[in-house]
Amino acid sequence: MTQLTEKSRIWHANWGLIILTALLVIFGLVNLYSACATRGEYGVDIEYYYTRQLGFAGLGLLCMVFAMAFDYRRLERMAVPFFVCSIILLLLVPFFGREVKGAVRWIPLFGIRFQPSELAKISVMVLAAKLLSTGRGSLGWKDFIKVCAVGLLPCLIVFIQPDLGTAVIILAILGGMIIFRGLKSSIVKVVLCLLLLSPFFLWKAVYPNLKPYQQQRIVNFINPSAASQDAMYQRNQALIAIGSGQLWGKGWMEGPQNNLNYIPERHTDYAIAVLGEEHGFAGIVLLVGLFSLFLLSICATAANAKDRFGSYLCAGVFFSFFWQIFINIGMVAGMLPVVGVPLPFFSHGGTAMVVNFSLLGIVLSVSMRRFVFKAA
Amino acid sequence: MRIVVESDSNQPSRHGIPLLQATALFLLCALVLRFWYLQVLRGEYYEKRAYANRWKSERIPANRGLISDVNGVILAENSPAYSVAVILEDCGDVPATLAQVSKWTDTSLSVIQSAYDQAKDKTKKFDPLILVPSIDFYQLALIESQKVNWPGVVVLSRQRRYYTHGSLFAHVLGYVSIASDDDHKKYAELSIGDTVGKQGLEVILEDRLRGRKGLSSAEVNVHGRQLLRNVQFNPGGGENIHLSLDLNLQAAAARALGDNAGCVIIMEPDTGKLRALVTAPSYDNNIFTSRLSGAEWSKLRDDLRHPLHNRVIQSVYPPGSTWKLVMAGLLLSMGVDPAESVVCTGEVKLGNQSFRCWKRGGHGKINMLGSIVESCDSYFYLMGDRAGIERITAAAYASGFGRLTGINLPYEKPGLVPGKEWKMANVASEPYWQRGETFNTSIGQGFTLVTPMQMAVYVGALLNGGKLMRPLLLDAAEPEVTGQLPLLEKHRNFIVEAMRQTVDSPRGTARRIRRSDAVIGGKTGTAQVIRLGEVRVRAGDMPYEYRDHAWMVSWGVKGGQKYVVAVMVEHGGGGSSTAGPITAEIYEYLFGGARIAPGRETEFPYAPVTERQGSAREEEILKAAAAWRKM
Repeated sequence: MTQLTEKSRIWHANWGLIILTALLVIFGLVNLYSACATRGEYGVDIEYYYTRQLGFAGLGLLCMVFAMAFDYRRLERMAVPFFVCSIILLLLVPFFGREVKGAVRWIPLFGIRFQPSELAKISVMVLAAKLLSTGRGSLGWKDFIKVCAVGLLPCLIVFIQPDLGTAVIILAILGGMIIFRGLKSSIVKVVLCLLLLSPFFLWKAVYPNLKPYQQQRIVNFINPSAASQDAMYQRNQALIAIGSGQLWGKGWMEGPQNNLNYIPERHTDYAIAVLGEEHGFAGIVLLVGLFSLFLLSICATAANAKDRFGSYLCAGVFFSFFWQIFINIGMVAGMLPVVGVPLPFFSHGGTAMVVNFSLLGIVLSVSMRRFVFKAA
Repeated sequence: MRIVVESDSNQPSRHGIPLLQATALFLLCALVLRFWYLQVLRGEYYEKRAYANRWKSERIPANRGLISDVNGVILAENSPAYSVAVILEDCGDVPATLAQVSKWTDTSLSVIQSAYDQAKDKTKKFDPLILVPSIDFYQLALIESQKVNWPGVVVLSRQRRYYTHGSLFAHVLGYVSIASDDDHKKYAELSIGDTVGKQGLEVILEDRLRGRKGLSSAEVNVHGRQLLRNVQFNPGGGENIHLSLDLNLQAAAARALGDNAGCVIIMEPDTGKLRALVTAPSYDNNIFTSRLSGAEWSKLRDDLRHPLHNRVIQSVYPPGSTWKLVMAGLLLSMGVDPAESVVCTGEVKLGNQSFRCWKRGGHGKINMLGSIVESCDSYFYLMGDRAGIERITAAAYASGFGRLTGINLPYEKPGLVPGKEWKMANVASEPYWQRGETFNTSIGQGFTLVTPMQMAVYVGALLNGGKLMRPLLLDAAEPEVTGQLPLLEKHRNFIVEAMRQTVDSPRGTARRIRRSDAVIGGKTGTAQVIRLGEVRVRAGDMPYEYRDHAWMVSWGVKGGQKYVVAVMVEHGGGGSSTAGPITAEIYEYLFGGARIAPGRETEFPYAPVTERQGSAREEEILKAAAAWRKM
């Protein structure tokens, strides 16, 4: 019987999720090809981008398979040491890290630029899932504070690096997981009050400590007329690209905004602007629809998980993807300030690809083991 | 085998699931609505904006005005120059590309790296960032053939200023260089990387030379290919500038000056137009039009002979004996009888101080004319003492000293005219005027400092009816009178005649510049740099920086030609021995032909003439002279 369940595990995995992910990656590659094609005229090797992207997708797939094979329940035991390790790695960044655009975020590791903040994100998710899965009913004050402390420590370190985007995402994931767990109404009231006061706190304590470019981005968002010409120019060009795509788009490789170099960062953060221009509203609806199905699929695994830890893990992964998608598309569509967050599986970028596939692997690991019973 | 259901308490609670589902649907709805708004409702608006993006506006650079000499020979022109740049977003490996560019262009990597570091934050990722501002044709060919393998590398061509005669006109023309942040604030129409005048006429005439950029708009298709190009307006080239300087004369004067540090001014006295303006040592101004390396710049800046200095207007010197001309004018207008003589014993005593004449044995009994011709110091010690420092100060200012001549070049210095008030205000250790200082001032030593240009303008005024002319560099410039010498015509003529005799008389100190075919007048000057002791030392035996400055101010008339030639040799030693031969060589070029032969062919227009009365200006001068008599 045990043998039987072991064999059938792979068929219990959430195959819908795998197919959706494959579609997203392929969609991203097609878009990336167009985003980089014009560079070919300047002697840039366009194959470089998509072969690299393919390579990382392959590497991500390996990580996913590894994470699937790994019984997620062992993560529960490893949660604390894993968390401690990631904190130590984060603290090492200032000493071994490489500076990119005024921020030290990377540690060179085996020739790959390794980003400890991504690891910290996963470790917070795992530890929070462990803490939240103990106890019953609504979350009490004691556990609430414990979980918050777990999240705030790495957040603060990441924020100092400075990597505002990742710090915000860690907090947002944690928030989502806590709400998913449900908490006492007194906590909800206090937190709501704090949230109302937070603009004041942010303005007085956080804003002065931001790097000038980050301050500028926030000011630009709040008051676009005061924004520098250059920053607004990029943002506007992305909007023009999207808007001019209209209902059906200009056609693949035919987007003038894309081809004439008007879209900034068009293979990474602004990849969806290229999609919007060339495939129009239809293309966007397709992509956003895929992402929604993708999220709902994770949701299903969270619902079917065998135990609470697995369920919370899935919720963490859910929010991790949700926030990345929402912040990236919201930024490109001019709804949110400019924060450098790539679109999962769609934007060009190695680390993100590997991390996202690993997160996916955790969800699949949960989905595979939903029927495993203890043999007595 | 028994299947055990895990404890119910470990089962996940499912009340959070609807939250996740709602969140996912919220994402779908919010984004779909937003994109519906952007792409469907506002689609046409953005389509129009996108279409506008297909029109690329480009500035068409204007040609900078050419600068030519009086005969139309080009001195400053524009020539094509090629530079190597990199487009950052296309460049896969920046460090390797920089290294390759360094290899191609034979430029050290640190220079390229610093060019890159300076510009990388100011340059858009899709705009070229200039790494090496100028490459030669060999390098151009090399890079063009290999750049296929180096994505992002581009070669740009642009107009570059070229000075055909480099160092010969460096101080007059100045140079253009890449505009600084201050320049961009001053001239809104400059773009990054444009050049702008930084020195000399290039900066003074910047507005006239620069011209106006044109504007073209080009429609490009979706792949960036240019479909059609409309010129909105054509660039307006800068104004071409015609100088009054003569290339050949300038070259001859520079040749005459040789390796000396000093300067030569050749001016037409009636108009103030300059025919040559040489200062030496000089520098090649072409090196500034491309990016100057730090080493080259500090070499120029720290050179002890100061090649960047325009000695004509930026250096001030004691006038030495040339000052006696100014003193003679003052004495005449004070009413001193030129026939009045003093006895020169070789020194004049004042208390326990002794003021020596340059001639040890003295000149004996000598009047004003003799004192100018033989440059007797004793006469001017005594007469200067009689005039007093107030009158000397006033006469110096009235003769154009202590103020700018107004020449159209930057950084002119006014020099220094000392006086009682000046000394009170500026010499804290001894804030009162001493009588002995009047003695020194009378022979052009002491505190007085003049520029060679002021001296030339003064000599010009002696010849042109007393008008201090603004020195002009442009051929088309209207003559401009900046002041009037307070001298009667007969007094001016007396000084002019004295200068002629200084050249012609057997005992004259300026005999070296005598010519048979022209009338030449001159005055030498040997300005002491340091106060010497009892024993006079030969110039050659002194360290260079202690040697006297040599002056020779002169005029020459032949036929219709009339020139003022002022020569100043820094630390040259004696005025006659050093500046004399240089001046003679210049007149040889100006007038040509044989020297020192009997028989004059040229009429001399400045022989003492009878006093003419009546003109308003003469009245004015008489008044000024009367005021001096009363002082």
